[in-house]
Amino acid sequence: MFNSQAKFGSTESANLSVTEKMIVCIAVVGHQNNPLYIQSFTEADDALKLHHIVHCSLDVVDERVNNPKKSGPMLNETFLGLLYPTENYKVYGYLTNTKVKFILVTTDLDVRDADVRNFFRRFHSAYLDAVSNPFHVPGKKITSKTFAERVSTIVKSFSFNTTG
Amino acid sequence: MANFLAQFLSIKNSCERVVIAVEDMSDLWPLVKKGFDERLPFKRATLNNKTRNPVSVDNLPAEFILTTDSRLRSRFPQEQLLFSFREPYATVVLVTCEDLDEFKTILKPRLKLIVQNDEREWFIVFVSRAPPHNDQASKMAKKVYAKLEVDFSSKKRERCCKLDIHGPEAAFWEDLESKITECIRNTLDRRIQFYEEEIRKLSEQRFKPVWSFCNFFILKESLAFMFEMAHLHEDSLREYDELELCYLETVNIAGKQRDFGGMEHGDDQAALLNPAKKPLTQIVQDDSFREFEFRQYLFACQAKLLFKLNRPFEVASRGFSFVISFSKALALHESILPFCIREVWIITSCLGLVNATAAHYSNGLVGPEIEKEYYRVRGELYSLCRAKFMRLAYLLGYGSAIEKSPVNSASLSMLPWPKPAVWPSMPSDASSEVLAKEKMILQATPRVKHFGIQRKLLPLEPASLLREANRRRASLSAGNVFELFDGRSTFMDGSGSDARTSPSPKLHPISMPRTNSTPGNFESSIDRPMTLTEIFVAAEHALQKTISDPGLWTSISSLEEFEQKYLELSKAAADNYHHSWWKRHGVVLDGEIAAVCFKHGNHDLAAKSYEKVCALYSGEGWEDLLADVLPNLAECQKILNDQAGYLSSCVRLLSLDKGLFLTKERQAFQSEVVRLAHSEMEHPVPLDVSSLITFSGNSGPPLELCDGDPGILSVTLWSGFPDDITLESLSLTLTATSNADEGVKAIRSSGATILNPGRNTITLSLPPQKTGSYVLGVLTGQIGHLRFRSHGSARGGPAESDDLMSYEKPTRPILKVFKPRSLVDLAAAVSSALLMNEPQWVGIIVKPLNYSLKGAVLHIDTGPGLRIEESHAIEMETYTNTSKNEDGLEDRDGDRNNASVVKEFTQLTLKDGSIELPDWASHIVSVLWIPVRAINEGLARGTSAGTVSSQRPSVVDGLRTVALKLEFGVSHNQIFERTIAVHFTNPFHVSTRVADKCSDGTLLLQVILHSQVKAPLTIHDAWLDLQDGFAHGDRGDGRPTPAFFPLVVPSASKAGILFSISLGTTTTEDEAKVLNPDTILNIRYKIAGERSLGSHTPMSVGSNGTEDDATQLLTFRSALVLQRPVLEPCLAVGFLPLPSDGLRVGQLFTMKWRVERLKYLEEENNDEVLYEVNANSENWMIAGRKRGHVPLSAKQGSRIEISILCVPLAAGYVRPPQLELPNIGGANISCNPAGPHLVCVFPPPLSSSFCIPA
Repeated sequence: MFNSQAKFGSTESANLSVTEKMIVCIAVVGHQNNPLYIQSFTEADDALKLHHIVHCSLDVVDERVNNPKKSGPMLNETFLGLLYPTENYKVYGYLTNTKVKFILVTTDLDVRDADVRNFFRRFHSAYLDAVSNPFHVPGKKITSKTFAERVSTIVKSFSFNTTG
Repeated sequence: MANFLAQFLSIKNSCERVVIAVEDMSDLWPLVKKGFDERLPFKRATLNNKTRNPVSVDNLPAEFILTTDSRLRSRFPQEQLLFSFREPYATVVLVTCEDLDEFKTILKPRLKLIVQNDEREWFIVFVSRAPPHNDQASKMAKKVYAKLEVDFSSKKRERCCKLDIHGPEAAFWEDLESKITECIRNTLDRRIQFYEEEIRKLSEQRFKPVWSFCNFFILKESLAFMFEMAHLHEDSLREYDELELCYLETVNIAGKQRDFGGMEHGDDQAALLNPAKKPLTQIVQDDSFREFEFRQYLFACQAKLLFKLNRPFEVASRGFSFVISFSKALALHESILPFCIREVWIITSCLGLVNATAAHYSNGLVGPEIEKEYYRVRGELYSLCRAKFMRLAYLLGYGSAIEKSPVNSASLSMLPWPKPAVWPSMPSDASSEVLAKEKMILQATPRVKHFGIQRKLLPLEPASLLREANRRRASLSAGNVFELFDGRSTFMDGSGSDARTSPSPKLHPISMPRTNSTPGNFESSIDRPMTLTEIFVAAEHALQKTISDPGLWTSISSLEEFEQKYLELSKAAADNYHHSWWKRHGVVLDGEIAAVCFKHGNHDLAAKSYEKVCALYSGEGWEDLLADVLPNLAECQKILNDQAGYLSSCVRLLSLDKGLFLTKERQAFQSEVVRLAHSEMEHPVPLDVSSLITFSGNSGPPLELCDGDPGILSVTLWSGFPDDITLESLSLTLTATSNADEGVKAIRSSGATILNPGRNTITLSLPPQKTGSYVLGVLTGQIGHLRFRSHGSARGGPAESDDLMSYEKPTRPILKVFKPRSLVDLAAAVSSALLMNEPQWVGIIVKPLNYSLKGAVLHIDTGPGLRIEESHAIEMETYTNTSKNEDGLEDRDGDRNNASVVKEFTQLTLKDGSIELPDWASHIVSVLWIPVRAINEGLARGTSAGTVSSQRPSVVDGLRTVALKLEFGVSHNQIFERTIAVHFTNPFHVSTRVADKCSDGTLLLQVILHSQVKAPLTIHDAWLDLQDGFAHGDRGDGRPTPAFFPLVVPSASKAGILFSISLGTTTTEDEAKVLNPDTILNIRYKIAGERSLGSHTPMSVGSNGTEDDATQLLTFRSALVLQRPVLEPCLAVGFLPLPSDGLRVGQLFTMKWRVERLKYLEEENNDEVLYEVNANSENWMIAGRKRGHVPLSAKQGSRIEISILCVPLAAGYVRPPQLELPNIGGANISCNPAGPHLVCVFPPPLSSSFCIPA
C-alpha cells in the first residue's frame, strides 16, 4: 500500500511537470473560420475544451484583422503573437496570406515569442505540403496522416527545445 | 528620511489646494476678501507641465491665506523645502496709499523688505479707495500707483495692478487672475525642477544598499501630488507609473526578504480602487512597503487619476492586466497566504473594477473602437471573476451544479488548485456538516443527456481534488490509500483520470462499507485521508475565515445563492462580450446561461440561447462543439413541444459527422424523427434535410431525350440515416438551366422508397419535358406525414460531413431534351407511275433518323380513287438503295452497309387501317410495300394523231394520295404524318390516224401506242370493237395478223398497229354494240416491270405461275374516236368571208356562218338547230344571242345563216369566234375551214386628235 501511494505521488508530479510545459493544442482554421485540423496533445479526454479555446480565440484574430488601426504595423506580419493573456494557458495565432489561421494553445507560460514564431514557420511549411497534395480538397479538413505525424514531431521538438 | 513618512502623509492629507499667500499691508483683506474668493476656482489657467509645455487647466482650485495665518507660519526651512508642494505658490501684497510722501517714506521700504525674498512669486495690488466723484483723491491715487509701478514693475514683468473699490473693476480681476496664474506657473516650474533634481539624485543611488524606497516614494509622490493639486493629472499619473515601475524593479531584489502582506483580516477584499484603505504607515516595512498593499495602493492612485481624466476604459484595461499580474504575485506567496485568498481577491477586484468603471462610464463618450474594447475588458473581468467563483464553489462541493461544458472546463481544468502550505483540515465539530454536505451531493442528480448520449464529462479540475488535498495535508498516514477512491470520488471528478491511474480499483470490493463519515469513525482516525466531503467542509471553514465580504460569503453559502451569483456573472460577462468584438465569447456564455435556465425549467429562454450557440457553431463548422450543445437544444425543443425545431435538431444531429456519435445514438435520433413523422403533428412543417439526404445524377453523360419523349431518370441518393428509412413518397424537381422563368417540374416516384444508409439508386419515370437541359432542383418527399425537402446535392462522393461550402448548385445537367427535329422520314419509294386499275405495290421508304422506331404503328389512309388490296399482305423489307449515288465514297459506304445488314423481310397485315412495324425495322431504313389499286371508272380515250397535246389525258387524273401517320416513340408519343402522292397511269396512250385509204374503201387505221410506264410491255393480243358505221376489213375479227404478237414495247417508246377497217353499217345484231358510240381498242398485254422501279406485274397475276396463260394477261381498253369521211356529215358549217377591208380593233362587224343540211337524218326529227357561239372574251366582244335555236328545215339542202355582231378587242392574229352545234355529234358536222384558224385584226386607226401638239 505504502509503495503504491509513493509511486502514485511521483507519477503524478511527473505528469504535472510534463503537462505544465507543453503545447496542448494546435489547430488550422480555414478562412471561413471553419476548423480544418485540430489536434490536442493532452492525455485526458478533454479535446472539446481545446476546441472551445481555439474557437474563441478566433474572436481575437477577427478583431485584429478587422481593426487594421490596432494592428497597423502587424499588417504584413503573419505571426499574430499572443492572442490571449490568461492565467493558465497562452494562445498564439498565425495568419497566412490565404487567411488560414494557425492557433497554438500552450500551457507553457514562459514561452518565448521567438520560439513560437519558429514553431509556426515550421508548421506553416508542413501545412503547405499537406494542402499541396493533389488529393486534398481545398477548404476541407486535412486528413493526411503524414501531416499529423509531422505536426506531432514539430510539437515534440518544440517542447523539447523550450523545456530542455 | 523614513521618519518623514508619517509627517509627509499628514501634510499631504491636510493639504488640498494650491495656496496663495496674501500679505495684507494696509488691512485691506476684509475689504477685498469677498471679491477675491469669488474668483475661485480659477476658470482657466495655463500652466506648464513637466516637459515645460503649456497646458490649459480648467477650474483650478486655490485658497487665499493671509501670511499671518498659523498655517503658513511655524515651519522649519527643511520641511519647507521637502514639502514645498504645500507652500504658497504666489504672494499677493495688498497696499493702499493716498499720499506720495507716505508711500515714499513708509510703504516703499516695507514693500522692498517683503519682496526681496527671491523664492517668492509676488505682485502688488494697489487698492484705491477714492470715491469716483472725488477727482482729487483719485488723481492722487493714480499718482501713487504710477510711482508704485515705476518702483516695482520692470520691463520684463508687470508686478502691479490697481483695484478701484468704487470704480469699474472688470479689467482688474482679469489682470489679477493672469498675475496669480503667472506666479503659480513660475512657482510650479521651480518646484518641479527641484523635485526632479532630488529624484534624479536619489535614482542614481538606487542600487546602493543605503537606498531607501520610502524616501524615493516621498519625493515622487510629492511631485505627483503637486501635479494633482495643479490639476495636471496626466503628469501626476506619469509619476505614479514611474513609481510603480521603480517599485517592481526594486521590490524583488534578492536578499531582501520582506513580508508580502495580505495576512490581515479584510485583505481578501481588493483595495485597488481605494488608496486610503490602509494608511501607508501601516504597510511600511524597513525602507519599503509591503507588496500586497502597496501595489494596490499605487493602482488605486492611478485609477483615481484616470477617473479624473475621464478615462474609465483605461481603468478597466489596466485593471485587468493588474489583476492578472497581481494574481501571479499572489500565486508566488500562496503558501503563506490565507486559504484561497487569491481567488477571493480576484473576485472582489474584478467586481470592484467593473462597478467603478460602470459608475464613471457613459456611452458615446469615446469612439466606437474604444467602446468595444471597453466592453471586451469588462467581459474579461466578469469571466475571470466567474472562473474564480466557480473554483470556490467547486471547493465547497457545488461542482455538480456547474455545467461540465467546454468553456467551464477550459477555464477550470487548466487552473491549478490552490496551493496552501497545508490543506485546511476539518474542525473537530463539523461532522454534522459533513453529513449535510454528503446528503446534498447525493441529492444532486447528475444530468442525463438526451437520446441516451453517454459522454465522458469534461473535467472541471486540473487534477483530482481528493488526491491534491490529501497530498497537501500536514500528516497523512498512507495506510488506507484505497479510501481515496471512495465510490463518490469518481462521480465528482468526472474526469475519469482516476479510473485510469488508480491502482486497480477492481481489487477492492465495491461493497466496501462507507462508514468513514460517521462521527465515531471520524474522530478515531484524524490522520487518515480526508474524504471528498470532508475536504469540502474543511474548505468551507477555511474560506469562511478568509472571506471578509459578507456578500460574497452569502453567495457561496448555499447552492441556490451560488447559482444566482453564477447566473449573474455569466449574464454580465455575456452581455459585455456581446457589446464588444468578441461575439463568440458572448454566445458561448449564453450557452452556459441556457444550461442554468434549463435546470430551472425555463426552457423557453434556454432554447433561445442554445439556438444562438448552435447557430454559431454550425455556421463555422465546429461540429465537435455543436455535437455537445445540439442535444441540449433538442431536449429543450422537445420539452417545449416545438416539433418543427425538434425535428430539425434531430436532422442536424444526424447530419453531423458520423464519428461524433455512436451508432446507437444516431439510431435514437432517427427513431425520434420517424416517430414524430408518423405521429399527428399539430403544425406540420416541411423539414429541410439537405444535409442528410443528398442527391446527384448518375455519373456519366446526362440522359438525352428527344422532344416529347418520356424517359426514365436514374438518380443517386445518399442517405445519412444510420438505418433504413422508408420514404412514403419522393419527388424531384428539374430546373431548366437555360430558362429561369420556366416553372420547375416535379417528377415523382411511385410508391414508397426505402433508403439504405449510404448510397441508393432510384429511378423515376420522366414525363415528356420541354426542350432544354435540366439540372436537379429540390428533392421533396414524405416520411410518414412529414413532408421534407432537400437542396443538398452531393457530387459523386458520399455526403461530406463538412458541408459548409457544398451548397453550390450543381452545374452538370442531368437531362437534355433536344429541340424538335425530324426523327423519321416517310417517302415514296418509286416516283414513276404505276398501272391504273391494276393491283400494284406502292413502296414507302421508312427511314428512322437516329431514333428507334420500336413498336411504331403506321396508319395508312388511302385517298379517293385508291384502295388497299386487302387480299394481299403488306410486305416490309430492308431497303437497299439501288440508285447510284454521284459520289462514289458514300456509295461504297452504302455497299458495305448493305453487305453487313441482313436482309429482312416481313409480311404484315392491316388492322383497322394500321400496321405495326417489326422490331428489325426500328433502326434501319426499310421499305414498306402496300398493295393498292387505283380506280378510274372512265375509259382511256385515244386521240387522233396530230391533234393538240392538251387534249391528252391530264396527269392529275392519275394522281392518288396515301395519307400516312406514323406513331412511334416510347409510348407512341411521337407522330409523323405525311401524305404521299402516287402516280397511276394506263400502260399506253393511244393515238390513231388513218394511214391510207384504199380504193375499195378500206381504210388503214394506224393505232399508235405510247408506252406510259417505266417497264417493258409485251402485247399479246389487240383488237378493235368498232363503232357503228365501221366494219372490219376483210371480214376479220378486228385483229391484226397474229404473227405480229407478242409485240414488245420498251418503256417510253412507241409502237404502232395497223387495222384495216371499212365504212359500213354494223352488221351485228348485238344491241350493246349498237349503242356503243365509240370504237374500243382492246389490248392484251403483259408487263415486266419491277416494283422498285415503277409499274410492274400486278401481284394477283405474277404470283399465279409462269405459264403463258390468258389469265396472266392484262387487258387495256381504250376508246377511239373514228370520224366518218367528210361527205358523210349531215350538217355543214361554213365560215363566211369577213369584210374585205379587214378587221380593226373597235370596229363593229358582223360575223356570219352558214349552216347547211347535207342529208336528212332520221333521228333528228325536229326542224330546229341549237347553236352556240364561243369566243375568247379577251379578244372579242359579242353582241347578240350567243346561244339559241334557229329553225332549219329537215330537208336536205336547207340552209340558214347565223350572224352575230362582233367587236375585236385585240389586234393581231386571233382565233375568231366559233359556232358550235352542241346537239349534234362532232362526227356529223363538217366544218369549213376544217380546223381552227386565225384571223387578222388590225390595230385601231390612228386618231389625229391624239397627235395635236400641246
